[in-house]
Amino acid sequence: MANMARSFLQVAATEEVASPLRVVQIEGLVILKIIKHCKEFSPALVTGQLLGLDVGSVLEVTNCFPFPIREEDEEIEAEGANYQLEMMRCLREVNVDNNTVGWYQSTLLGSYQTVELIETFMNYQENIRRCVCIIYDPSKSNQGVLALKALKLSDSFMELYRNNNFTGEKLREKNLSWVDIFEEIPIKVSNSALISAFMTELEADSPVTQCDYDRLKLSTNPFLERNVEFLIECMDDLSMDQQKFQYYYRNLSRQQAQQQAWLQKRRAENMARRAAGEDPLPEEDPSNPIFKPVPEPSRLDSFLITNQISNYCNQINGVAGQSFCRLYLMKGLHEN
Amino acid sequence: MLLNPGSIWAQIESLVETLHFQSRCYFVSASLLFFCYHFHLSRDEVFVYARMAASRFWTTPGSDSEEEDSDYDEEIENGGENADEPTPNRYLRGNNASDSDDSDGQKRVVRSAKDKRFEEMSATVDQMKNAMKINDWVSLQESFDKINKQLEKVMRVTESEKVPSLYIKALVMLEDFLNQAMGNKDARKKMSSSNAKALNSMKQKLKKNNKQYEDLINKYREHPESEEEKDEDEEDEEEEETDSEIEEDPSKIVMSGTEDEEDEEEDDRDNLTEAGWERKMSKRDKLMDKQFMKDPSEITWDTVNKKFKEVVAARGRKGTGRFEQVEQLTFLTKVAKTPAQKLEILFSVVSAQFDVNPGLSGHMPINVWKKCVQNMFVILDILVQYSNIVVDDMVEIDENESQKGADYNGTIRVWGNLVAFLERIDAEFFKSLQCIDPHTREYVERLRDEPMFLVLAQNVQDYLERKGDFKAASKVALRRVELIYYKPQEVYDAMRKLAEQSEDGHTGGESGEEPRIEESRGPPAFIVVQEIVPRKPTFPENSRTLMDILVSLIYKYGDERTKARAMLCDIYHHALLDEFSTSRDLLLMSHLQDSIQHMDISTQILFNRAMAQLGLCAFRNGLVTEGHSCLSELYTGGRVKELLAQGVVQNRFHEKTPEQERLERRRQMPYHMHINLELLEAVHLICAMLLEVPNIAANVYDAKRKVISKAYRKVLEASEKQTFTGPPENVKDHVMAATRALMKGDFQKAFDVITSLDVWKLLRNRENVLDMLKVKIKEEALRTYLFTYYSSYDSLSLDQLTKLFDLSEAQIHSIVSKMMINEELHANWDQPTGCIVFHDVGPTRLQALAFQLTEKLSILAESNERAIEARIGGGGGLDLPLRRRDNQDYAAGTSAGGRWQDNLSFGQGRQGGSTGRTGYSSGGRAFAFNQAAGGGYSRDRTGYRGTGHSSRAVRGSQMDSSTRMVSLNRGLRA
Repeated sequence: MANMARSFLQVAATEEVASPLRVVQIEGLVILKIIKHCKEFSPALVTGQLLGLDVGSVLEVTNCFPFPIREEDEEIEAEGANYQLEMMRCLREVNVDNNTVGWYQSTLLGSYQTVELIETFMNYQENIRRCVCIIYDPSKSNQGVLALKALKLSDSFMELYRNNNFTGEKLREKNLSWVDIFEEIPIKVSNSALISAFMTELEADSPVTQCDYDRLKLSTNPFLERNVEFLIECMDDLSMDQQKFQYYYRNLSRQQAQQQAWLQKRRAENMARRAAGEDPLPEEDPSNPIFKPVPEPSRLDSFLITNQISNYCNQINGVAGQSFCRLYLMKGLHEN
Repeated sequence: MLLNPGSIWAQIESLVETLHFQSRCYFVSASLLFFCYHFHLSRDEVFVYARMAASRFWTTPGSDSEEEDSDYDEEIENGGENADEPTPNRYLRGNNASDSDDSDGQKRVVRSAKDKRFEEMSATVDQMKNAMKINDWVSLQESFDKINKQLEKVMRVTESEKVPSLYIKALVMLEDFLNQAMGNKDARKKMSSSNAKALNSMKQKLKKNNKQYEDLINKYREHPESEEEKDEDEEDEEEEETDSEIEEDPSKIVMSGTEDEEDEEEDDRDNLTEAGWERKMSKRDKLMDKQFMKDPSEITWDTVNKKFKEVVAARGRKGTGRFEQVEQLTFLTKVAKTPAQKLEILFSVVSAQFDVNPGLSGHMPINVWKKCVQNMFVILDILVQYSNIVVDDMVEIDENESQKGADYNGTIRVWGNLVAFLERIDAEFFKSLQCIDPHTREYVERLRDEPMFLVLAQNVQDYLERKGDFKAASKVALRRVELIYYKPQEVYDAMRKLAEQSEDGHTGGESGEEPRIEESRGPPAFIVVQEIVPRKPTFPENSRTLMDILVSLIYKYGDERTKARAMLCDIYHHALLDEFSTSRDLLLMSHLQDSIQHMDISTQILFNRAMAQLGLCAFRNGLVTEGHSCLSELYTGGRVKELLAQGVVQNRFHEKTPEQERLERRRQMPYHMHINLELLEAVHLICAMLLEVPNIAANVYDAKRKVISKAYRKVLEASEKQTFTGPPENVKDHVMAATRALMKGDFQKAFDVITSLDVWKLLRNRENVLDMLKVKIKEEALRTYLFTYYSSYDSLSLDQLTKLFDLSEAQIHSIVSKMMINEELHANWDQPTGCIVFHDVGPTRLQALAFQLTEKLSILAESNERAIEARIGGGGGLDLPLRRRDNQDYAAGTSAGGRWQDNLSFGQGRQGGSTGRTGYSSGGRAFAFNQAAGGGYSRDRTGYRGTGHSSRAVRGSQMDSSTRMVSLNRGLRA
């Protein structure tokens, strides 16, 4: 019995630990609102608040509202916060879910992996245990894909970030690599039965939609070009980062050489002192500048850049694959 | 008072003269004491008499003595009344009197203003005295403030640096009184509170104020009486300086003797004769060197030597007037017994003259400088005349070496260094030009002295060459070179003409006159030196010939620095004469570019100047690329002014310490040596434009990569950012306007804008240069046009191009063909129709970007590899030669792949090399991605190793080969 009781206890305890987030379930309304907001302001980048409920391993996003376009001014920032609170209050009054579950933002060709995003995440996750960021890419949607992505930071990364400790050693310890920064969570779109019914009603007779036409667009060059351009920029950034590391390693090795030299000198001196019958001097001298550790540059930047690069590469990959299909299709059509 | 004033008058008058001319105070005080003793007068009284006499004497130089006498009696009576309190008015007049030395009519007005100020001041001093008597500190304080204000006015009026002695005297008086008051505690207690307060504040003020005039006060305290004299002396120093040598003739001194009775008579005579006051001047020396006055025959080498040692020993000591020392020494040169001694003393004179200006920043007074040059001439005269005298500064010289007379046959060694003196004179000349405002007449006047120095240098050099001291001669030659090298032929001719003219007038006055007077005035110096060395410059017709002679001497005998500087001057001068190839060859042969970093700053500046001039020369000769490469480095940091030492620039981000600033100021070039910065900038930007515009047009996709001129790009970017471009104002605007036109292929507009610059009038052969420029602009316009628009054409006829660009068919043909050969333009000629047929083989934008990406990747892979090598302790030393070999035989791809696999075993989380190489689809990891690139670009990378991946140009050329690279890789993969 005792055994059983303990196992019950254990069960209770484990249930206390929240089950991991599996799915983000978004209402159709929210998606439409996001798309509308982002498209209207594209190519400017916009953000907005997501509202909803946290139900077990599912995060339901039931509503959202846009933020006014951000300004650099601090005063306006404070106003933005006020706006947010006011908005939530109003929504509560009309009985909408007013529980913040994250935010959405638009992006340009998937270049969202920034330090700012991580900071915002950290901010949100301080207050809300579970939150996601939904990223919408209007430029990609032009090609007939719904480019929605739900992201969250991985737990291990967050822990590391809190300690602000991105040295190579720590990263190895945690076995954290650049892929492990963000976790993508599958999105499920749900509509109420009524809406679904209405949608079926609305659906046109023709089997082809505008989206399908979009998908058949043959001009992929601009998209590819921009991706490559961004890639080039990323490479530059990465090179810069690498230079930073090279510099660091050079300094480190120089310092080590200095330390060795110093140590040797000290040892020789100690030998002499011992011979003279004096007390040996300590072999550590913290006041000496050569023992001051050289700060290791953070690897966060290079991780983010790598993430971004992989993102671009995947995009190129995807677009290229689709383009080939289209080209073959066109070829087939021509032959016919 | 037991005597009638008349009888002491004469004595006093003679004293007055000494007061006036005698700058050495102790003689004055000695004489004063003498008077006090003889006539039982108080010191002050005598002094008052003296002052009165002085004022009498000076204000009425030509009046007859009777009138004087009557006036005089009155004065004496006045003086008697307030004998214990010499009225400041007297001093004032004394001051005025001294001014009348330079009596021109126009100065009268100024003098009255001066008078007024001085009167005001003395009135204040009187007030102060009264206040002191009644111990009224409040009013004393007021007066003190007042006198300070008045001091400012006085200084403004007199325009001198010198504080009037009246003021100093008041200060001293005040200080003494203050100390006394502070010492007397009882009295202090008795004072009213306001009075005590005033006393205290006065104490503070005075302390602060007196600090400024500390040394003057000290001087005054040491020799209270002479103070007044001194300022007079110093005020008319200029005249004295020039005059003294002419007028001081020992014969007079000897004749006049020291007896007072004689003086009396003589003075009367003097007053009557016109030249009287000139002669009196000479008497200054008679008291100074009593021992020499008595009898010329009594003067021995020993006495002179003793006196000489004494004077020299006083050098640098406090209280030794610098001017006086020069004068004393000059006097001694006259009485020197042997040529060697004269030489010895002359050397001291010259160094004393160098001492006249104490600071490092200021320059030597010009008249002193001139005299110094004259002295150098005399030195040379002696040296040439008595060839057995050797000048040396290395060995310790026997004290009595100079005793050996002119008839002594062996070598006589005299301490001295001609070259050092000459260099110092040159440095002083340079400094004076730095200090003088270049927009004044003074500057021009100063420049006229240059030939004089050149002659001296020439003479010194000749002498040294005769002596066989070629090393020193080369140093002197360098000095001459440095005065010549920056002069274009026109300026050189002008200088030559000036020198020839001044032979009769100017130099004649300077150098010819002096010995003549010396001879005419009886038996002047014991050692008469004939004028042996020529005072007149002999310049060759052509500046180049002169340069060649000097420079070849330096190359032969000079030390490293001298040679380097001469070389740079030579390069500069060649460039000035439009001989670009010669000067370029000189520069390249000398390898100065490599070693210039290790040289001193002034040589570096010279190098910069030479480079700038070389660039200008290349441009004038139509060599745009060369011109640009010469100038671009100057313009990289935006510190042209500093690099050429043509003005001090304040940097916003980097504050200079005053020390640095002073140093920088000291190395500034004098204005007449400046290279016009606007012209330089125009030439630099135009060269850059001619190179960059077609370059930008050729690399539209990747404009950032192949940058020829960063400075130009920066300017271009800035101008592109402007929302509105106004009409061009400065050089930059003009060039940018031209650039905009050129980018469109509109050569005419570009040329017009460029010609509207007004710097072109600074060019000698302006027409030719502009013609050249026009052709260049046309050519580059054509190239730009072709680069920009060739994709829009299938073919383009030659006729059309000739019409568009106003160039001959042959020219266009050659330009276009060159572009085709360089693979800049993918086209070929269609001879029968005279057309260019374009092939559209240029990469699309995507392709171009892909190329760019591959290049970036290869860089990244390269540095990754290096990082790994560093991490695992480097096998670099072993790898490098191996890889280089790989590079040569063409199996680079496979072997590099192998290498990669070697490295892979160390890499964590990397997939196998082969899978990695097939593409990023397989791994999805960054390293795999890089590997793919690494494998693919092994050839590229090895190329880097070979060239040391240092310069952008190399990288650029790499990119050009990237088309080939792709096909190669395909082959490897297959």
